[in-house]
Amino acid sequence: MNGMAYGRDMEVVQRLKPEPMTAEESAAQEKIDAVEFEIFSHKMNMIAQEGKETTMKLGASSGMRWGDVAFGIYTAQGDLAVVATGIWFHAVLGQIPVKYIVKHWLNEPSVGVKDGDSFFWNDPFYGGVHGADMGLVAPVFHKGKLVCFVGAIVHTGECGGTDPGGMSNNARSKYDEGLLVPPLKVGENYALKEDILNMFGAMTRDPRTMILDIKARLAASRIAQRRILELIDQKGLEFFIGALRRILIVTAEAARKKVRLLNDGTFRQPRFMDTVGANDRLVKVNVTLKKKGDKITLNFEDTTPMIPDKPINTFFQGIIGLCMVYFCGWFFHDLPANNGLLEILDWEFPDNAIVNAKGDAPTSLSPFTQCIFAHGMFLAGARMTYNLDPSRAVAAWFQGFGVPIFGGMNQWGEPIADITPEINATGAGARPDIDGVNGAGSWFATMSDCSDVETTELDRPFLYTYRNYFQNSYGHGKYRGGLGVGFGLMVHHVPWVALGSFGFGSKFPATMGIFGGYAVPPVFVQVVRGSNFKALLSEGRSNLVNLDEMYAPGNPEQGHRELHHISLTIQPYMNGDTFYVPVGGGAGYGDPLERDPAMVIADLREQRTNAWAARNIYHVAYDQKTLRLDSEKTEVLREEARAKRKERAKPYEEFEAEWRQLRPPEEVLQHYGTYPHPSEGLQAGPPGM
Amino acid sequence: MGFSINVDIGGTFTDFFVTQDGKEIQIGKTPTTHYELSVGFMKGIREMAGLYQSDLRDFLGQAEAVRYCTTLGTNAIIERTGPKLGLITTAGFEDTIFLGRGRSWADGISLQENKDLARIQKPEPLIPRDMVVGVHERIDSFGQIIAPLKREDVLEKLQILVDRGAMGFVVCLLWSFANPVHEQMVKQLIEDEYPEDYLGSMPVILSSEVSPKSGEYTRFVTAIVNAYLHGVMGDELNKLVTELRTGGYQRPLALVHNTGGMKKVSRSRAVLTHNAGPVAGLHGARTLGQVYGYDNITFTDMGGTSFDIGVISGGRVRAYDFIPVIDRWRTNISAIEVKSIGAGGGSIAWINKLMGNALEVGPQSAGSMPGPACYDQGGEEPTVTDADLVLGYLNPENYLGGKMLLDPDLSTRAIEKKIANPLGLSIVEAASRIRRIIDARMGQEVFKEVVLKGHDPRDFVLFAVGGAGPTHACGFAPYLEVSKVLVPFFSPVFGAFGASTVNIQQVWEKSKTLKIFQWATQSYSEDIDGFNAVVNELKDLAIRDLRLEGFREDQIHFQLEIDMRYGMQYNLTKIISPHLNVKSPVDFKDICDIFTRDYSAIYTPEATFPVGGINIECFYLTATVETPLHKIEPDQINDPQPPAEARRDSRKAYWAGVGDYQDTPVFNFGALKPGNMIAGPALIEAPDTTYVIEPDWQFTLDPYYTGVLERV
Repeated sequence: MNGMAYGRDMEVVQRLKPEPMTAEESAAQEKIDAVEFEIFSHKMNMIAQEGKETTMKLGASSGMRWGDVAFGIYTAQGDLAVVATGIWFHAVLGQIPVKYIVKHWLNEPSVGVKDGDSFFWNDPFYGGVHGADMGLVAPVFHKGKLVCFVGAIVHTGECGGTDPGGMSNNARSKYDEGLLVPPLKVGENYALKEDILNMFGAMTRDPRTMILDIKARLAASRIAQRRILELIDQKGLEFFIGALRRILIVTAEAARKKVRLLNDGTFRQPRFMDTVGANDRLVKVNVTLKKKGDKITLNFEDTTPMIPDKPINTFFQGIIGLCMVYFCGWFFHDLPANNGLLEILDWEFPDNAIVNAKGDAPTSLSPFTQCIFAHGMFLAGARMTYNLDPSRAVAAWFQGFGVPIFGGMNQWGEPIADITPEINATGAGARPDIDGVNGAGSWFATMSDCSDVETTELDRPFLYTYRNYFQNSYGHGKYRGGLGVGFGLMVHHVPWVALGSFGFGSKFPATMGIFGGYAVPPVFVQVVRGSNFKALLSEGRSNLVNLDEMYAPGNPEQGHRELHHISLTIQPYMNGDTFYVPVGGGAGYGDPLERDPAMVIADLREQRTNAWAARNIYHVAYDQKTLRLDSEKTEVLREEARAKRKERAKPYEEFEAEWRQLRPPEEVLQHYGTYPHPSEGLQAGPPGM
Repeated sequence: MGFSINVDIGGTFTDFFVTQDGKEIQIGKTPTTHYELSVGFMKGIREMAGLYQSDLRDFLGQAEAVRYCTTLGTNAIIERTGPKLGLITTAGFEDTIFLGRGRSWADGISLQENKDLARIQKPEPLIPRDMVVGVHERIDSFGQIIAPLKREDVLEKLQILVDRGAMGFVVCLLWSFANPVHEQMVKQLIEDEYPEDYLGSMPVILSSEVSPKSGEYTRFVTAIVNAYLHGVMGDELNKLVTELRTGGYQRPLALVHNTGGMKKVSRSRAVLTHNAGPVAGLHGARTLGQVYGYDNITFTDMGGTSFDIGVISGGRVRAYDFIPVIDRWRTNISAIEVKSIGAGGGSIAWINKLMGNALEVGPQSAGSMPGPACYDQGGEEPTVTDADLVLGYLNPENYLGGKMLLDPDLSTRAIEKKIANPLGLSIVEAASRIRRIIDARMGQEVFKEVVLKGHDPRDFVLFAVGGAGPTHACGFAPYLEVSKVLVPFFSPVFGAFGASTVNIQQVWEKSKTLKIFQWATQSYSEDIDGFNAVVNELKDLAIRDLRLEGFREDQIHFQLEIDMRYGMQYNLTKIISPHLNVKSPVDFKDICDIFTRDYSAIYTPEATFPVGGINIECFYLTATVETPLHKIEPDQINDPQPPAEARRDSRKAYWAGVGDYQDTPVFNFGALKPGNMIAGPALIEAPDTTYVIEPDWQFTLDPYYTGVLERV
């Protein structure tokens, strides 16, 4: 075992930046023709695209179905040189397990890395995010020499934890989170080992999905392997090894160049969250970006300490991964995605912080903490990049999840455990010149898809009560965020099914606006047990068509109604019970008083906003019946609103003094650390850290 | 037999391919008249009549068929100038078409564009939100009615749409493909309430009729696009039919479909006419392949702004697991895939300064306006055509048969200023690099598209058509590792030629889940009736339809294809069913075995998972009536030496392998005879293209007047 004592390898996870160039890679550089290199880069991208499309075609999980997939080509040392994905954290996280394989198994006689092998992992310590994300790579050998790795990472979801579907609200240690597989050989001689597949099947709730997803990753890897070997036969091994390395070099150089164009400075953005899983508690992630020259340094001083028995801790590498989502999608969108980009990034994580999980701490809800960090990146990043390109300094997409999670048997008598796909229909943030896109997708998985209702209903035991845009579910502003979606699920065809949801932002907004734009309103779950909804449908009396009507007087649905935090522990619901969830819209940009009144009228006409918001947020005057705009009166109303603002205004010192008197209830500060600054009086970490 | 007239309308030219009595071929081109397509159409018909020394009346009077690949309507979709439609959908799902499964912003745009997340936009909808109403009703996944449809509710919602000016209705309800009863009731109510004399010919389009397949977004969009095109095409087609009739044509005008068949106008769904030209071209390639005995063909068509790729395997043009996007709209028609990539003569070369001054070509294109710099229409960006001109491959005096003069100085200046100087290269080296990069990109894209369909392009014969195809074929063929490229004689009018080769054919399809190998029991299904009921329903529809076209049942050939998947898999793999009807579970086993065999061939044996259960999800019954084809006869073989009159003045052309300009022989394609061979380097000028024969390639004109390029 190369001296590793069956514990976590703390060293390999630090190796996120490209490995030092090998002598072989270095020697090849001089001989690489510029045009041949361009042609090679394009070919490698074609291979990765083919790998990604094949993976998606063959898999079964919701993540696989709707595009939560990354297919990568790694150097022989494990650096990710080429990736096809919309999930950009995989552009830097997929490499850790590969480097682990190289470090531990390559020269280990009892394991080894041979032609025809395949390796699987889902331990988030190596995968970086959470156990629901699972990966598989295959080594590629040319005439007996290891030349690269190829493989796919997919959010399969269900991984055998205490709650079905891959995210355990109640996990108290990593041992509650199901499978935790460090990189493990699962196939030899071009065949998967049936005994290992059998074990995975036995340890998870939906064995078919688990195994089909593994087979999909492997099939795509084999196809990519074949293409790469053909390419090496044509271009020669030396060229291949050198050019693969060259991709990392030119990417890093391009990233440095772009970062140099930004103003130097420090950009701060404290962020907060209202849950630690099953309990409503306050936590803080203090994001600071220091930009100097061609480097950006991430710093997390003054962040809530690690919580040893709550699943919202994240490994630091997950934070670096999420940083890439912002970078690849909004700042480096014109560069290739690979871990060469990390050459511009340094990081400083406090020893005891929820962004730096250690020991046995659970992490299955780590995406929450990663998202509040990433929201800080959006806000600080917009300010940091404004001088370079204001059109891309935009408000954030919805950050708070809002995902039903389920487990049980479907209408065909088959076991199921997964999430619903509407997370891929959140609203995009507003821009300096246009509104955010309605129902655009998930900010971290933008190539994903929220599925058809019919496709979900076909093998999930639900009937959607409705699925429409959710009025006012976005941040208002000069330009508003894109709309989110409201939907309801009625348990159908089966006696019962276990349902819960995950997310944050029920107590205060998860997604803040920018440059005067409003935040996205909080989201929460409504359930009706013993609902009469089915009877309303059959009697033709259900007139409910969207989520805002659920909160309106005269709602005809009867039963035992409960309102819950969006982070809701899974529990059984009976046939006919209903479960309502929203996914939020995007954040707003700029002052709503500057919004073109005609755009407010258009939103009223399309029922994207309502009279209350038109009157109280946008201060627009219009004829209630015809929706005809009264421009003059609108200007008067807006002047009045501005005057009232001035009346409310107070000197900053006065505001700050008042603000400092305020304090959240002690109960919600249980895990926060010292209030308001967790870093002041920080306790030592728990035993074992 | 009389004349067979085949017409393909393109963006710049309307192409004609005519045969008399199955032979006596003539081809022609007229400029496309966008303001009214029938003007260019009829002008071309007159010109073709002239080629047969016939007047219009005699020519059309003797015409046994007029087949037409139309682009009518496509522009209306792009420009949103179609009719005002109202959408009636299930209450609670009114935003389905706007939500577009979230990612509709990415449909119809390039990978690079959809990576720029700060600037994405969804397309302007074909039906605005205030023209969408929801009716209270609900059907579940087993086709059971959970909420009944109420007459009063429908009438109330209908009135809203009528008051707002609807000129047609699209009815799209959830699960209507499994149980269409509610959609049919809505249609009946509209027809009862607003009879034809009141509403005129306002169409009522049902999603369950246009596209009875699972997945509401694509089904709804297919129905909407169909209604939208229907509204635009009706008038124009009527005008054309009238003109043809007045001219003496007595038979129905046939429209070529993107599913690979053709039907007369009155029995054609509008949505099936989109992109018919390229699909017809693919059929033409198949027909020509049959002449040569080639079953596996990679078909490429490189024009000014696009590069189309199609595949023929096993002698068949097949629809793959493919979601055709029309403009920005994702549909679910079983169209034949002709993939278009953003590469062509107009692709712009540029320097990516961020990426270490890397030279890139495309995806931006100068299009036909302003076009390449050498067109002298104001374009200043260096393009692939400019590079070809600088390299000496194109004749500035004889481009497009002399119809367009090119200015080589403008090409030189554009390449010098934008590429050569910044990179410190000579102009010719810069031009040569532009060409190498675009050739590699095209070749690699073609390779990926062919392999994604489960084929090995190295085993396929490459066809290259289009104005720029023969100019670049020797350049991109090596990336497919093929050493033989065929450029058919009809290359300039290949879509029109292809139209002459399609049969009367339609695909009838329906989604239905059947678990034919069950995971829980590890046994084959006994639901024989479930399978046969779907097939028989589709068969009845097909027979009824083709009878109305005047065919007998015994003339119809059926083929059943089915979409299948393992267990919980989402994506589907299509196979040809060995049985039209099944008799016992053993037949299900045959079907499962073929699925696993095909799946294994495409995705490797390690990927198969039969024990996880095997489902059928969708049935496609293709009903075909074979139409007699004109015969392509070989001409006699001549001496390999081209006749002296085929020689034109040689000119300097640059060859990368030589590293310099070299005096290169130039030939006139029109004067070449079958059997003539020309060794590279050489250039051959045809009226619509220039063959670039690279140094290690050889050209042969075969007895079918096909240009055969072979690597020596």
